[in-house]
Amino acid sequence: MEVAKILENKPKGYIYGLMGNINLTTNNTNYSIITDYKFNGTVSEYLNSPKAQSSLKMVLLDESYIDKKANDLSIGELKKVSLAKALIDAKDYLVLDYFDKSFNHKEIDYFIRLMKRMTSDYQRTVILFTNDITVLWNNIKELLIVDEYFVINTIPKEKYFEFIDKANEPEIIRFIKLMKELGLNVENYKNTQDLLKAIYRLKEQK
Amino acid sequence: MNELFNVNNKVIYDINTTILYTSSFNYTDDAIYYLNNNCIVITKDRSMETFEISNDIFELFHEEKLIHKKDLTKIDELKLKILASLNTTKTVFVFCNVLTYLDKAFKERLIRYLILNKKRIINYTTNIEETLLLDYLVVLHENKIIMEGKKELVLQEEKILKKLGFNLPFIVELSNGLKYYGVIDKVYFNNEELVNVLWK
Repeated sequence: MEVAKILENKPKGYIYGLMGNINLTTNNTNYSIITDYKFNGTVSEYLNSPKAQSSLKMVLLDESYIDKKANDLSIGELKKVSLAKALIDAKDYLVLDYFDKSFNHKEIDYFIRLMKRMTSDYQRTVILFTNDITVLWNNIKELLIVDEYFVINTIPKEKYFEFIDKANEPEIIRFIKLMKELGLNVENYKNTQDLLKAIYRLKEQK
Repeated sequence: MNELFNVNNKVIYDINTTILYTSSFNYTDDAIYYLNNNCIVITKDRSMETFEISNDIFELFHEEKLIHKKDLTKIDELKLKILASLNTTKTVFVFCNVLTYLDKAFKERLIRYLILNKKRIINYTTNIEETLLLDYLVVLHENKIIMEGKKELVLQEEKILKKLGFNLPFIVELSNGLKYYGVIDKVYFNNEELVNVLWK
């Protein structure tokens, strides 16, 4: 699906979340899609820019990576180098296609902060495409869901819970649903600590 | 436990194992080792030897819609790759950070199917929630084993996991908190069990 179509009429300079079983493509030269992480040769040859070192630093790779060959890198490192390349290219739109899938929580949090800075300081527009709503829900302007008929639905923040594909529900939502099935009235918390306090209060009342 | 493989200085025992790794780890050498040792190895990009998928398998995995679907997505292709690998006499399945792309229902059906069919599962992942799927857990950082053991024990090492950049799985974090406040007296690894204990 042409990714530019998904963002038609959406304001620039924000992070958008995207979910759905689609392949993203684009012919629009204003877009960088980080989806194919492979390249030939060394990192230096691939980045081919005086900004190579500083871009690598921004994606949590030190200067030792500049001379490494693509074949010697892990998938996570290849993704980071692809992001460094996109930072150098500095196109208006940056699409991260399941980018979160090779990283731990600390790295994901760092990259989300980086994307926020790119939108607020440089007015770039970022699309985070993933099947994990927990990566998105506190960080995006809007959640866009593309259904099997390629209809783009914009989901309001307060209704994220209702529209997440049941198969991709995060554990906290599954747990809250189990509680509700037992007749326990709990809000749709997104954070484990908030849920913990709510359970504690419920037990106190019991 | 019997030793199943010695993969690039890592002993893999004869137990269903999750290998939780940080992003600097490159699983390619391990994947090659497993391929050379008669395992089914599934990575996102690699094409592989496939077998016919029976209608029963499509039905069992609730994926009948894939039979005639045109314009397959990458996720559809990954599912088909996995389903096409099931009709094999090989006994060890190695997943190289692929389950994380799949929905939870498919993942659970797959694990259940493989266990029922007496297959051994080795799952490489960076997704902490997946550590709950299998019995044994190995944690890797920069090609070194940081810790390993039954998942119930390893997942109690919150400080080490946090230092490596991992949060705890949701249910373990919630259990730990409830245990700290005296609401429960042990850590649970399953949503249903914890809910039932809380409101029995």
